[in-house]
This record gives sequence, structure tokens and C-alpha cells, in this order.
Amino acid sequence: MPLSKAPEPQLHDQRKSEENNHHKKRRFSGSNQVPPSHHTPASKKSRQDDSSPEMTDSQKRANFSALTSPSNGLNKHASQLVTNKPGTTKKLVIKNFKEKPKLPENYQQQTWLMLKEAVEAIHKKCSIKSSLEELYKAVENMCSHKMSATLYENLKTVCEDHVRDNIHQFLGETMDSGQFLKLMDTCWQAHCEQMIMIRSIFLFLDRTYVLQNSTIASIWDMGLELFRVYIISNTLVQTRTVDGLLMLIERERNGEAVDRLLLKSLLRMLSDLQIYQEAFEVKFLAATDRLYCAEGQKLMHEREVPEYLSHVDKRLNEETERLYHYLDQSTRKSLVTCVEKNLLEHHLTAILQKGLDMLLEQNRIQDLTLMYQLFSRVKDGLKELYVACASYIKKSGKMIVINPDNDPDKDRDMVQSLLDFKDRIDNIVAVCFAKNEKFVNAVKEAFETFINQRQNKPAEFIAKYVDSKLRAGNKEATEEELERLLDKIMVLFRFIHGKDVFEAFYKKDLAKRLLVGKSASVDAEKSMLSKLKQECGGGFTSKLEGMFKDMELSKDIMLAFRQHTSNLDVPGSIDLNVNILTMGYWPTYTPMEVHLPTEMVKYQEIFTKFYLGKHSGRKLQWQSTLGHCVLRATFAGGDKELQVSLFQTLCLLMFNEGHVFSFEEIKQATAIEDGELKRTLQSLACGRARVLIKSPKSKDVDAGDKFKFNNEFKHKLFRIKINQIQMKETQEENVSTTERVFQDRQYQVDAAIVRIMKTRKLLSHNLLITELYNQLKFPVKPSDLKKRIESLIDRDYMMRDKDNPNQYHYVA
Amino acid sequence: MVLCFMFTWPCVSFYLGWTAVATWKWIANDDNCGICRMPFDGCCPDCKLPGDDCPLVWGQCSHCFHIHCIVKWLNSQQINQLCPMCRQEWKFKE
Repeated sequence: MPLSKAPEPQLHDQRKSEENNHHKKRRFSGSNQVPPSHHTPASKKSRQDDSSPEMTDSQKRANFSALTSPSNGLNKHASQLVTNKPGTTKKLVIKNFKEKPKLPENYQQQTWLMLKEAVEAIHKKCSIKSSLEELYKAVENMCSHKMSATLYENLKTVCEDHVRDNIHQFLGETMDSGQFLKLMDTCWQAHCEQMIMIRSIFLFLDRTYVLQNSTIASIWDMGLELFRVYIISNTLVQTRTVDGLLMLIERERNGEAVDRLLLKSLLRMLSDLQIYQEAFEVKFLAATDRLYCAEGQKLMHEREVPEYLSHVDKRLNEETERLYHYLDQSTRKSLVTCVEKNLLEHHLTAILQKGLDMLLEQNRIQDLTLMYQLFSRVKDGLKELYVACASYIKKSGKMIVINPDNDPDKDRDMVQSLLDFKDRIDNIVAVCFAKNEKFVNAVKEAFETFINQRQNKPAEFIAKYVDSKLRAGNKEATEEELERLLDKIMVLFRFIHGKDVFEAFYKKDLAKRLLVGKSASVDAEKSMLSKLKQECGGGFTSKLEGMFKDMELSKDIMLAFRQHTSNLDVPGSIDLNVNILTMGYWPTYTPMEVHLPTEMVKYQEIFTKFYLGKHSGRKLQWQSTLGHCVLRATFAGGDKELQVSLFQTLCLLMFNEGHVFSFEEIKQATAIEDGELKRTLQSLACGRARVLIKSPKSKDVDAGDKFKFNNEFKHKLFRIKINQIQMKETQEENVSTTERVFQDRQYQVDAAIVRIMKTRKLLSHNLLITELYNQLKFPVKPSDLKKRIESLIDRDYMMRDKDNPNQYHYVA
Repeated sequence: MVLCFMFTWPCVSFYLGWTAVATWKWIANDDNCGICRMPFDGCCPDCKLPGDDCPLVWGQCSHCFHIHCIVKWLNSQQINQLCPMCRQEWKFKE
């Protein structure tokens, strides 16, 4: 509430305050101190007010207690008062307004003089004569008497004069920029303080006149405007300020400590004056651009990539800090972009070329993480990064896969190297590249590319690797480790295009494991099978599953057979165990007729009779190449158990009937084929466990060699396994397996061609080839496809168009 | 010396165990089933595993089919039940 010290009292206000006074008094109506003034019309009005719903709570309570509580003697009057009042008839007298008091003649000049004095005192930083309250009231009164416009103009003029005078201090030539900036800061701070003070005094003006006129700037804005027009817009001053600021920042960038508060204050000044962008930011960004452009080029040459990257990271952090400490937030985006552009974007390719391979090679997790983080800031940065990563993977992977000299050692280690390589890359993608989907895909694609650059072999080696892990005697891994390893292998397998090659070799090895009983664990086999099924579908694994089924069926049959034989009178004591295979599931084995001892032949006959009795309409073919036996042999040094193949058994059994045999004699007796027999004898006489002695002594077995039982044979173990010589055989097997795969592929190509032609009826050569590549899941050469097409034309499945030899017709 | 030889002879006295391997296939006069054209080593298109679940049958005309295939064929014939290969009356060979 304005105080009544105003030089010109106002009637309206006075009445209002009187009314208020009454109001207050009414609250104490419980007492008898009712002043006579109650009977004025104003008090009447206030009484009416009392009964109105707007009565405050406290008033109500006072009245209520006045009516009810009899204990207080004073209440008597009060209740009288209350009850009487409505009854009394008082006339309402309305008086005229008093005549409006006139202002003194020179009121405006005098008041303004006082105000001006005060403003000037503020400008000169000396104490003000009049009290602030007086000044405020003066402004308020002037405004009330419609002198606002003049007052504003006068104030503006005074301020303008003052600000205009201030410029001189900045025009001195001798100042160094530090001093200059400090001076500028002081001047600005003073200006702000003064303007705040002035505004406080002229607050009423600011809140009424200025607010009502949208075209007029508030006092504060006016102050800014003046400062802008008379000081900062001076070219010399502005240049000196901005250059000074830029120099300070540059010094800080070079590692010097600078007065950040000064910078902050001056930059705030610029943005308050709304010239931050045009006067400072543009120049600042240009300077930044220049600096980092030069720095980027220089350091790219001088430094290694990891150091360079950490430098960039440092720079970015510094700039962010700068933003935090003094730069305006609006600069953030352009400043950061500027740094990123000059230090990173321009050098992306160079960085990648110079350092990525090395970082990946040396598995520098931290540096790679930093690289990822930095590159993700820049447009297309990540794309460049994963493309470069992919090309590194392709390059290194190719080194692992391709083996120009067919070095067997390298081929043997290939899968393990691939697994290690994959592990390393996966780790990098997970840790450094935040499992970014783009990177995961790029890695997949890269693996798929390089692994298929060498045809068939990787598939073969993966199959063999799995075999080596699933084979018995591989005790290095626990179940879980094995399971994890198999999962990893499946990942590699997924990349392989020629999955049929894998299947062929896997089947061959699986057959060996099952038949020789070398499988490490049925669970592991089953889990591998289910993985393959999941990956390639049931069609891929149906034959493999059939193999397992055969093994189980064989077990049941052997149980029944043992029961059957226990009732029969069977000579000898061979514990016969037969695996009966369904032809279609297993790799094809060429049957080999050999002469078995009569005892064995007899057993075979008994079993065949038993089996065919159970399953009519079938034929049994004995596969002598796959049989194996356990023999008890007696040497001078004691008895030994020998685990040998059927062929080895046949050779050894001969020495039950004689002491020395020639190669030819053995061959005649056993009827084993030449090459096979040579290998068999070699394994018995030239291997690690030499149960036969060959003369003349040599590594290889030749026709004419003589063999003698080695009675002096010694071995630390009781049960000895004599391995067949495998080397040559594997190579033959290898070739035949691969050939069989190619044979199967030809049928698939034929089927695909016919399928396509049947739907299209008429197709050009090129379109047919494209369709074929879409359908066929293994790599084929176009020339091979051409051969198949020729063959189908020969077989009348299709024909060439008479006019256009590049078009084919389907022949129904 | 000779005595010693006599003593240790026969040197390989007996076999403890013999694991033999045999393969079975159907006795058939053809490689493929004349109806489904699948090899007899496999099974008919409706079955998954060859074996006793999908056996072969012979007619008296000595033609041989998957049992599922020939039964399907015979069921589809309205009047005469003929061998699809030779058109003679189909009778199962006992």
C-alpha cells in the first residue's frame, strides 16, 4: 500500500483507506469501543459488507461468540449493539467528491530535476540525496499525471549522454588487449548495475507506460540498446573486444591458463547485447576452423593413429568444457561440428588406412572403442569404419583360408585359426563397437565372403575338425566346453555355401565314429545333429539321423541274437557283434570278398539266417573293410590284447598255423586286395606296435617280402590298438567323397534346370543362368552349368530355338 | 630253441570279440519303385525311414513296389486291380 507521504493526496485513495480502517475496527466489535465514526455512511456500508458472504472466518466467529457466551460481562453491550443495529434507521448521506487538487505549476520540472540528480548520482557512483522511496513515489506520481512519455524521454536522454561519454576510455591506443578486456568488463558491469538501480527507481514507469506501449523498449532494454549503439557498435571497440576474446581462447587452446570468468562475463555481455552471433560467433568459428584444419593435417602426419585419436578426444572434451564454462550454448552444435569435421571427417579414410588394420591386428580394445565413439559422431563415420573393418576381416581371413602351397599343417590349423579369429572379432564388436547391428552384419558378410573364396576345402576341414572334437580320446574339453565349441563351429558352418561338401565329409566321419565305436559321447553327437537340423532343416540331417537309428536297431537285434544263440549249440567262443546298416543312409562302401576262417564264416551264416528270418525280403552284404576284432595274443613277454581291423586279424591268424609267410602266401590265403594287404601288413610290421617282423627291413611292404611273428614283442600296455595306415586311404576317400558331392550337385543342377524350364517354357540362356544361381545353394561355374544344359538338350529335355540359338524351349 | 617255439605256439590263440558290419537292402528286381520312382533303398514318399515300416511287396507278376504305393494304386482302381507295370491282374505273392 502506498504510503500517505505523497505530496498530492488523492481523494479516492483516502476514502479507500478510511474504509479499510473501519473494516479493521469491526473485527473488534465484540468490545464496546465502537467509535462514533461508525455512524458515517462509510461505516454503514462496511456493516453491510459484514453480513455479506465475504465475511472472513474470524469475523463470523467473533459475532457468534458475542451472541452465545454469557460469561463475559462485556458481552452485554456487544449483544445490544448487534441486535440494535439492524433496527436503527440511519440515513445514507452521499457527499460530493472533493474538488481535484491542482498541481503546483513547476511540479514536473522540480520532480524531474530531483530524479535527474539521482540518475546522475548513480552514473557518477556517488550517493543519492533523496531517499529511494521518495524517488519511487515521484516516478509513480508523475506517471499518474500522464507525464510518462516525457519522463521516459528525459530518462533516455540522460542515460544516452552518460553512455556516449563512456566511449572515450576505450579509444586509447596504448592499451594491451588484456587491459582492454578488463576495462570493458568493468564498464559493462558498471553499466548493468547502474541500469538495474535506475530501473528500480523508475519501476513504476517500466511497469505501466512501457508495458502498455509495445513499441517502447523497457528501461533495461533501452540501457542495452544504448550500450550497443554507442560503445560496442564502434568498429574499433568491437574489433578490439572480439579479437581480444579470440586471442584469449587461442591461448587457452594452446594450454595456457586464462581468466575464464572474464571470458564468460564478456561473452555474456555480447549475447545480452544480441551481437554474440554476428560479432563473435562467426569469427570464432572461422578461427576454430583454421586452427583445427591446420592441426588435423599436421598431426595426421606426425602421430600414430591411437595417439591422434586420443588427441581428438582431448580436443573435443576441451571444447565441451569451454562451452560449459563460458561459450554460449547456441554455439555448441556448430563448434562441435567444426572440430569433428576438421579433426575427423576430413581424415576418416586416412585414419582407417593408416591405423585400423594395426589396431584390429593387435586387438587394441581401448583404442578401438575410442575410435568407434569418435567415428559415431561424424556423418558416415561408422559406415566407413565398418566397411574398413569388413575389408580387414576379408583380407586376414583370406590369409587363413587360402593355402596356395597346399601346406597340410596350415590346412589342419585352419579351422582353429578361424575360430580364434572369429572370437577375436566378436569380442571387438561386442566391446568396442557396442554390438552395433551394422557391424555385426558387416562381420557376417565379410566372413561369408572370404570363407567361400576357397571352394569346398573349408567345409571339408570344418567337418574334420568337428570329427576330431567328437572322437573318443578327446578328453581336453568338458561337456559344456564342447557344446560351446560346437556352437562356434556352427557359426562358421553358417557362412559356408557348399554345405553338401560338409555333409558328405561329416557323414563319412560320423560313420567311422559309429562303426568303430569311437564316438566320445552320444549326447554331443545328438546335440551336433540337432544343431545341423536347426540350421539346414530336416532334409539335411535325415540320413544322419537314420545312421543313429541303425545303430540302435542293431543293438536290439544283437540282444535278440544272443538269446537265440544261447539256445543253439555254437562252436567256438566268438563274441559276435554286428552293425546292420541301411544302404541309403551310409556312405557307399565297396564290398570286398575275403577268405574268412571257417569259424567266422559259420558265425556269419548263423547270423544271416537269424536276421533274414526276422526281416524277409532283404539281402545282407557283409562289409569286411569295416569289421574289427579284439585278439588275445601270446608273446614271450606275456599275453596281450590286440585291437585290430578284420584284415589285420586275418593276417595275424595265419601265424597260428605257421611261423614265416611270404607276402604272396598271405595274399592267397586271405584274398585281400593288393593295396589293402600292403597297408595292413605295413601297419603290423612297420608301425609303432610291431607284432610281425618283416624281412628285408624297410618302411614299405613289397611283393616278395617275408613276415615272421614277433615273439619278443613288448609293450607297456596290455590292450594295444594297432591303427590301420590311413594316409593314402584318406586321400583316396577324400577324392571319392568330393567326387560324390559333385555328382550329387550335377543331379541338382539338372533338376533345377528342368524345373525352371518347365515353368517358363521359353527362356534365354542368360536368364536361365541367373535363375539357376538364385536356386542353387552351392557354388558352380557357368561353364559347368553350360555342360549340364548341353546334356539335357542331348537327352531331349529341352531344345534350342531354331532362329535364336541363345533361347531354349522346354520339351514336354 | 625249437622247444621254446613249440611252447609258445599257437601264438595268436583266440579272438575275444568280433564287430562285423553288414548292410542290408531289399531283394528287388529293380532299383526304383515303379510307382513313386523312389529308389528301393529309400522309402516311399509318405515315409521317413526305410525298413519294416515301409516294406516292399511283390506281385505274382514278379513286379515289386513299396507296399504303401501299390495299396494306394489299388485303392484308386474302380474295377479291375491290375499291376501298374504289366497290366496283369494284381495278386500279392505269398
